[in-house]
Amino acid sequence: MTPLTFRLRAPPPCLVDASPLVPAQLAGKQRNEIERLSLQGWNQSFAVGDLFTVTGDDHGRIALEGLNGSMIRVGAGLEDGELTVIGHAGQYAGESMRGGTLSIRGDAGDYAGAGMRGGTLIVSGRAGDFVGSGRSGEMHGMSGGCIVVRGDSGDRTGDRMRRGLLLIEGDTGSYCASRMVAGTLVALGRAGVHPGYLMHRGTLLLADRGVEVPPTFNHNGRHELLAIRLLLDSLAQYGNAFKQFARHRRFDRWLGDLGCEGKGEMLIPA
Amino acid sequence: MSGLEIDGVAIEDTFAEAFGMRATRLIVTAANRAWAQHAAISATGFATSVIACGCEAGIERELSARETPDGRPGVAILIFAMSSKDLQKQVERRTGQCLLTCPTTAAYGGIAAETAREWLGLGRSLRYFGDGFQISKLIDGKRYWRIPVMDGEFVCDEKAGLVKGIGGGNFLILAQDQRAALRAAERAVAAMREIGSIILPFPGGVVRSGSKVGSKYKALLASTNDAYCPTLRGLTRSQLPASVGAVLEIVIDGLDADSIRLAMRAGIESACHRGSERGVVGITAGNYGGKLGPHHFHLQEVLT
Repeated sequence: MTPLTFRLRAPPPCLVDASPLVPAQLAGKQRNEIERLSLQGWNQSFAVGDLFTVTGDDHGRIALEGLNGSMIRVGAGLEDGELTVIGHAGQYAGESMRGGTLSIRGDAGDYAGAGMRGGTLIVSGRAGDFVGSGRSGEMHGMSGGCIVVRGDSGDRTGDRMRRGLLLIEGDTGSYCASRMVAGTLVALGRAGVHPGYLMHRGTLLLADRGVEVPPTFNHNGRHELLAIRLLLDSLAQYGNAFKQFARHRRFDRWLGDLGCEGKGEMLIPA
Repeated sequence: MSGLEIDGVAIEDTFAEAFGMRATRLIVTAANRAWAQHAAISATGFATSVIACGCEAGIERELSARETPDGRPGVAILIFAMSSKDLQKQVERRTGQCLLTCPTTAAYGGIAAETAREWLGLGRSLRYFGDGFQISKLIDGKRYWRIPVMDGEFVCDEKAGLVKGIGGGNFLILAQDQRAALRAAERAVAAMREIGSIILPFPGGVVRSGSKVGSKYKALLASTNDAYCPTLRGLTRSQLPASVGAVLEIVIDGLDADSIRLAMRAGIESACHRGSERGVVGITAGNYGGKLGPHHFHLQEVLT
């Protein structure tokens, strides 16, 4: 069986919600039924068959090819199975996903993995702002699962993150882990200004020794903590860069943000 | 006695009667072997019999750094109790008083999730010692608690798996004198400690005060097993031939019947090794006529 593949024929005239193209919604459907499915655009809807060439027959493995950012909510609500995107996945990729694996071979737009509750989201390129955050107006960001961004991520990465693992191999923009409630965010590249802004709890691991720690964080000392060792050892599965980072044992620990609850920890290799 | 003999030692055709218990395994790690041992010995102290200790506990085996969740030296301990509730209480108390307090230690559940019947709270209630400064960390789907303590942090699993276990597997070594009985028991214990999934909860793995059910004193549920006390021969209905001057018992608790059988076999064979020339007279087992416990370990079956 080959993956059920949707190849974009031509960019649509507006943003289109691609969230129906997930295994749970396509299960048991014949190809002609799938081609007749409607995808909602800004002011109009499109038949799947008008936008995509559909091939393959494995409904548990889906591929979206040739995307250019015009599709939004790709893999939103994904519960199981594999969804592979080749191209630019657009905004809200993997939003509220609960399980399965969403692999983006390319870039993702803003709000990738917003409100995510489970599963794995891997972005091979860069991701936009608000990765792993909540959608606008929501009180909490991602509350489970794992997001791995191999490239850079934009501003407010992990905003209001509540649980789960958010791994950025590249640089992070300003205010990463802002308003973080709990969970773990690891960033291996350079960190933008104001990391951990209004962070309540949670763990922020920054490889960037040159980062300017906000004045609302207190230095807690240099520590070799067993729980951090367990955490780092578990990161080796996410690639060589994290495996290398896991070699660090001793960290400068900063506690904050004292502007709010102040029980978060920011760890920077000593 | 009739039937089987090992090196001239008669194996009585009888059975050990054991009963169902609830059990868990905890993995205790520390900065080095010595501190892991300190913690494990403390946590399994005063845990010889459920009758008065609330649980039966012991060290299952030492673990190398490669075998533990955090890559430090460790010790696996097993704790048995009569009910899930009793076990929860004992796990909580012993973890709180003996593991949390011991420098550098960490505690993890040692029962695989797929075999656990229920879950016992480990860090779930212990975390409150952190007075609000405790931190929960979810790593690979498993929740850990980090409790701030004076040497850093005490790390433990949120929960530990509970399984059905078996308590009260046993055999008795009948010897010409106390010295011969003790040496045979020591040989047996050394061999049995090599078997996994079991503990020998009594001091050094050996019991000298075997008990029978009931007493002439109404308040007592159990009293000395007079039939096996050499100093009562001639006064009571003794089970001891004239050649027996001392008896020692080995009690085994295990996570499954096969492990108990394996341990009994290893122990009896070692106790009987060159037994007749070392003063070992016979091997028997304790039972209550088969009415108390559902698990019967027939000595002759165990050895064949």
